[in-house]
Amino acid sequence: MLKVYGLFLVSGLAVGSLYALAGIGLVILRRSTGFLNFAYGALAAAAAMVAWQVADWGAWPPISWLSALATGIVLSVAYGRILAPALAWREPAVKAVATLGYMLVLLGLMGLLWDDALRKLSLPPDKIAVTLLGVRVTVTRMIALGVAIAAVIAMILYLDRSRMGLNMRALADDRDHAALLGIPIVRVETLAWGISGALAGGTGLLFGSLVRLEPTVITFMVIPATAAAIVGRLTSLPMTLLGGLLIGVIEAMLTLYKPLAPLRAMTPFVIAGLMILWMQRGTSLTFASKD
Amino acid sequence: MKLQITLVTGMAALCLSVLSSTAAQADDGAPICGLNTGQAASGTPIKVGGINGNAPPGDFSGGTDGAAAYFDCVNANGGIHGRPIEYIVENDQWNPELAGQVATKLVKDENVVALVGNGSVVEMAVNASLYASEDVMVMASGCAISECYESSHIVSTNQGPLPSGIGALKFAIEELGTTHAACIGFNIPNNGGWACDWMNEYMASKGLQGTSILMDPTAVDLNSVYLQALAERVDTILLMLPAGPAIGLLKVAEEQGGRELFKWVSPTPLYEPGVGEVLGDYWSDNLYINIELNEFSSDGADNQNWIKVMDRFGKDGDRRDTFSQSGYVSAKFFVDALLKLDAENIDRPQVTQAIQNIVGVESDLLCDPYYVGEADRHMPNHAGRMVVFKNGDFELVRDCYDIDTNYLEPILAQETALGLN
Repeated sequence: MLKVYGLFLVSGLAVGSLYALAGIGLVILRRSTGFLNFAYGALAAAAAMVAWQVADWGAWPPISWLSALATGIVLSVAYGRILAPALAWREPAVKAVATLGYMLVLLGLMGLLWDDALRKLSLPPDKIAVTLLGVRVTVTRMIALGVAIAAVIAMILYLDRSRMGLNMRALADDRDHAALLGIPIVRVETLAWGISGALAGGTGLLFGSLVRLEPTVITFMVIPATAAAIVGRLTSLPMTLLGGLLIGVIEAMLTLYKPLAPLRAMTPFVIAGLMILWMQRGTSLTFASKD
Repeated sequence: MKLQITLVTGMAALCLSVLSSTAAQADDGAPICGLNTGQAASGTPIKVGGINGNAPPGDFSGGTDGAAAYFDCVNANGGIHGRPIEYIVENDQWNPELAGQVATKLVKDENVVALVGNGSVVEMAVNASLYASEDVMVMASGCAISECYESSHIVSTNQGPLPSGIGALKFAIEELGTTHAACIGFNIPNNGGWACDWMNEYMASKGLQGTSILMDPTAVDLNSVYLQALAERVDTILLMLPAGPAIGLLKVAEEQGGRELFKWVSPTPLYEPGVGEVLGDYWSDNLYINIELNEFSSDGADNQNWIKVMDRFGKDGDRRDTFSQSGYVSAKFFVDALLKLDAENIDRPQVTQAIQNIVGVESDLLCDPYYVGEADRHMPNHAGRMVVFKNGDFELVRDCYDIDTNYLEPILAQETALGLN
């Protein structure tokens, strides 16, 4: 029985690391610009589809991988430079809903560009594997986990120790004051959208290879990713990583309990809900607002 | 004697001439449709509807594509005694509300005489009562849910997951030694739940074991689904899924060396052009698929005519899958039924009656004669073929065979009443 649990643990960690990676991209952007980007999954999906398309045209594989990152960056920065500034002073909810619109636009475009034919996105590490706890783990799965951990460490160091990281944190705290202090808002925000877009591109590439190359499925990965980000209270990168991994592992483990197995898709919502309740503990609901 | 020799020689020459003329006609690539006059129909159009579901997560438009191409061919060849068919196709976009709206538009506003080629996972459940109350028949082509087979006014040419899945299991039990099969399907009661429950019942009726593994359609963690089958200690996996998720699951299984651990069978969805390129060599000789209609490469007259119809009258991007074959056959049987009516007085009641009168018509695309009749449920197609995935293509391993599930009892009784058994 221990071996069976081990199988599901390893499996859950792999998918969970993708949720975590996407959650990290969401948190970085949220911390720097105030945007909770619900179009994040669509960016990842578009990146995966472009990578497949470039590979299908016969390009050298690294070109197709780079095209995924480039697609994520371009689509993310395009939104950040063209639409986001107009919403900079709006409420967080309005900003988030606006990204939903972008998600629908991207989904529609993908439907227009790529019909419902069968496709497969393969990466070279898919063919290499090691046996861990009785389950064969491909190098792609290990890369997903490694990239998620590396992204957390790199971004913590970058945000805490670099000048640009400081600018990003200042911008997230108070956009007006940051502008008064002379922080180059456009440059900082563009960088944040770019980093988040690159992470979306990488996540899409890994997701397309590990799970499924279907735009809709990848697009709605934003749900567990958002849940992971909520576990990190939309600020903490290590907690987001933990949240993503937790969602992946619990989702996998529920498979072993038959009555709940068909309801595994609820896992992100339940965990996010529990986390919100935990964060709200000790506060009482009143009709008076703080304002 | 000399006269007899001359006559015989003359007859032989005439036969040869006719044969060579027919062969030439068959070889010239021209499809044969309806009256086959070569003259375009120009009378008052006869309105016919069709509803497909074409949006993420799947494209079920093959049935209406096949039917539309055949109707265009019929219209270019005399129509229904001079009257063309005006085929109005709507897309329900997998949205139940929209499915109800487009059906109401077709049935009540456009006043179509029938619907042909429907393919959807949504619209049959929403509209079955509308079709019955308005007494309009639906000759569907892409059904996947129970309501489609258990309604008085819907008859589908395709089998759907239940017979095709059990057909695959029957083959697995008889040829691969299956004793415990996992049915992996979507957690949708009238789709995966329905088909997998009957699969389990079928296994039990053979003294064997069946296990349902139902997953949410949006679940991304296919590895856990695969591992669940591993934990259940089954020996066979039946992929009761659309092609996309099924391919995803096979990819996960390939990572885990699943080819050696299980026998792999599937109903029709995996029999689709393009599967070979996506699957690669790993699954060669290890993936068995039940097909509801005939092989895409079959030399049968109807299959060859379907190819010609699609080549000549299909549009760029039209699907050429099992649903398309099914749409072609549905449209062909529908046109044949209409041609028996007085063209000038065609109305819905007459068309409904004409469709219900269809009994025992045949096509090489189907294993058994097709029929409709008046009944609370319809499933004329419940015999199929089995292919194995081999070297990037498919190879026939068992020709037409029936399945023997208890689900078919009322269907078989109906066939007996119609004199088909």
